[in-house]
Amino acid sequence: MSAKNEIPTHPIPFRALALRSLSDPELRATLSLVVETFTQKRQEALAGLPWEEWRERLSSLRLQILNDLPAFVHLFAARARAVGATVHQALDAKSACEIVTSILREREARRVVKSKSMISEEIHLNQHLREQGIEAIETDLGEYINQLAGHGPSHLIVPAIHHNRRRIGQLFAHKLNVPYTEDPVELTRIARKFLREEFLRAQAGITGANFAVAETGSLVLFTNEGNGRLVTTLPPLHLALVSIDKMIPSTGDLPLVVRLLPRSATGQILTSYLSVITGAREAAGSWGAHELHIVLVDNGRSRILASPYREMLKCIRCGACSNACPIYRLVGGHAYGSTYPGPMGAVLTALLEGMERAHPLLDGSTLCGACAEVCPAKVPLVTLLRRLREQKVEARLTPWVERAAMAGWACAVRFPLLYRLGKVAAGVVWPVAKRIGRNTVLGRMPDFAPRFFRRRIW
Amino acid sequence: MNRDRIIADFAFNATRAGAEVVRAKDTEEMNRILSLLLRERDSILIYCPGLTELEKAASIPPLRLTMDYKAATICVEEAEAAIAETGTLIYSNQGGRLLSAGLLASHHVVMIREENIHEALDDFFAHLGDSPPAYLAFETGPSRTADIELQITLGVHGPERLTIILL
Amino acid sequence: MRVQLFTTCLIDAFFPETREAVLRLLRHFGVEVVIPPGQTCCGKPSDSGGYTRESRRAAVHFLSLFQGSDPILIPSGSCASMVKNHYPLLLGNDPRLREKAEVLAGRTYELSQFLVQVLRVHEAGLSWSGRITYHASCQLQRELGVREEPLLLLRSLRGAEFVPLSHMDRCCGFGGIFMAKLPELSLALAEEKAEEIISSGADTVTGCDHGCLLNIADALRRRGSKVRVKHLAAVLAEALPGKQT
Repeated sequence: MSAKNEIPTHPIPFRALALRSLSDPELRATLSLVVETFTQKRQEALAGLPWEEWRERLSSLRLQILNDLPAFVHLFAARARAVGATVHQALDAKSACEIVTSILREREARRVVKSKSMISEEIHLNQHLREQGIEAIETDLGEYINQLAGHGPSHLIVPAIHHNRRRIGQLFAHKLNVPYTEDPVELTRIARKFLREEFLRAQAGITGANFAVAETGSLVLFTNEGNGRLVTTLPPLHLALVSIDKMIPSTGDLPLVVRLLPRSATGQILTSYLSVITGAREAAGSWGAHELHIVLVDNGRSRILASPYREMLKCIRCGACSNACPIYRLVGGHAYGSTYPGPMGAVLTALLEGMERAHPLLDGSTLCGACAEVCPAKVPLVTLLRRLREQKVEARLTPWVERAAMAGWACAVRFPLLYRLGKVAAGVVWPVAKRIGRNTVLGRMPDFAPRFFRRRIW
Repeated sequence: MNRDRIIADFAFNATRAGAEVVRAKDTEEMNRILSLLLRERDSILIYCPGLTELEKAASIPPLRLTMDYKAATICVEEAEAAIAETGTLIYSNQGGRLLSAGLLASHHVVMIREENIHEALDDFFAHLGDSPPAYLAFETGPSRTADIELQITLGVHGPERLTIILL
Repeated sequence: MRVQLFTTCLIDAFFPETREAVLRLLRHFGVEVVIPPGQTCCGKPSDSGGYTRESRRAAVHFLSLFQGSDPILIPSGSCASMVKNHYPLLLGNDPRLREKAEVLAGRTYELSQFLVQVLRVHEAGLSWSGRITYHASCQLQRELGVREEPLLLLRSLRGAEFVPLSHMDRCCGFGGIFMAKLPELSLALAEEKAEEIISSGADTVTGCDHGCLLNIADALRRRGSKVRVKHLAAVLAEALPGKQT
């Protein structure tokens, strides 16, 4: 059993990671470019469209699912089975990895191709497979680059954006044994050539799903590269990992998500490719029979559903919140130290991995609300963050100095006399404190200029 | 919306997504266009499934025609449906269509009949009903990525060129 | 007309000139201002930090001070939003207090809201000279929905040249406790904001929240910039007849 499947409990060193990003001017320039480009494209793509109406509909749709999730999951499983898929249910990361491994083992699949799947990263599938002697090759270009580099994703949509072309050129030259080039067109061609061979010889294809349609048992996959379709049509076995919060009720709901997801993620009207997969196809001549296994993964979602944070499960993984977040723009995805970056990452990581591990992420927000403003599913990110901070306080994970200061402040706030005395004292102490702490936040504060309150009528 | 408008919208949106769109008034014109397209690169292998009438009517130089779709550089086929709102072409696995063929080729040439163009996503999905085919593949423009420094490059895993012939 | 004024802890401690400006401004428009004694803090800092118990105490105290039915004016977007939007939620477990909070919220205005919606100050033909730009604070725009009012007021100033601020609605990095907990990130955001202000060519930057303004002022100072940082109330008070410089 892989140790990697156990969730580490030491706190994510968000501040240290963030400071590291701050001192990397190239990363900051890249992050600015990424978020500003996506923000502008998103605005252009939504201009003149009934955005508020659409997002309200998406929010309602997702709430409809959440209010009855077990029933929808049950329906999905039944319908998928009825059209020839084999459906498995995995309660946690460990069992999901084990189910995938045993399916692949049974078919003696040693080399498989993967299309981008966040749930597979969440459960650390690739590592687990590697330990079992199964190589899973990422086919999404960004994920492929990260796989060669040994990195995790730094952005939900462009996961390898933290590498510049030179670094990618060096990576390819070193790992793929090709002549060095830093031309993106050439690099793309190299990746295409190498991955084409992988597609053609892979014994299985593993994907996630952007959505799962309960009524028909269908899986919905969006890609721009085309790897989604190749991974699901070339190898004889397709294995799809679907977290249970990906459900939508029916195919009639597809137009709404097809309109909202690409626009929110990249500002495109639609991604180049979209697959709607409903069951296994019958064997048809030389292109071989097709087997479809769907692994429905819970990994904490039922627990979240029963908690005050259930609205986080409305998320459709578009990444718009990261693009809107002023902190993400400064520090990038790796500072969040988890599968999911940005505002939704801070919330979801706290919910999935627990407060002890994730609480530093909660500090990395000014609660400005830019994220909630762009969320197509109206996830109330600010409310969820604040609620998590309350939980952090209750769990006594905030610094004692802070707790003491807040308690002191609360006292003064209720007792005006105490407040006044505090101001008198501050009049003396403040300049001294400012001087001593001139390299801390105190040094940034203005000078004290107290006045005593008088009831004044003008 | 009237048919002309729908067709014009489809052409506009498909072009915006990076496809080339040409109109043909009949199969003869379609074949003239095809011969121009296929002549451009001489020693290239072409795959055409020959499943639909239009595909059977497509004139492709026999010496360059192959049934090994993995080796073909150009794939010529007919799309089952299209959506004007997004400039999208749609294929299904019905009839034994090999859905990877159009992706493996580096130039995808697709015929679509004007009467198979739906106005909006809703029209298509409503018409789909509740038993969709096993595999529905959508295509909107060529294959692309922005993963390297946000620079768009085409032809990642799929075709870098998509030509649509509207009939 | 009579109003009640909530000074806010930042203005009380650091920016008495803003309170004077608010009083002068309201007096000019014939408004009688009562400042209920015993004011302290609205509780926003503890609320953002997740210290609910402490915030509730602040809320209960605030409710006890602001009796009656006069409009309550608050020259701060974050404090006004705290009172209007968060107090009813914070006191949700006590129906009586919750109702009091809701009624109170109904008569609470952020200052620029009141100046435009009630006093129509943007139609008063005030004049001010200089090049001015505006930073839109987060709670003001996103929680209170106050986006147009400050711009209307600024654009109405005769003789003033209003220059737009690039990314005007992007957070300046203050975030209350954020500035203390992650000071390097806060400063980085403030420095970017300062750069944008300097690039705008303005000689003055204004806003409705002193939290933002103090953060921005420090960043400008570090940059050696001479751009003045003034609360919107102070700008408008300068624009009153008899106050030209």
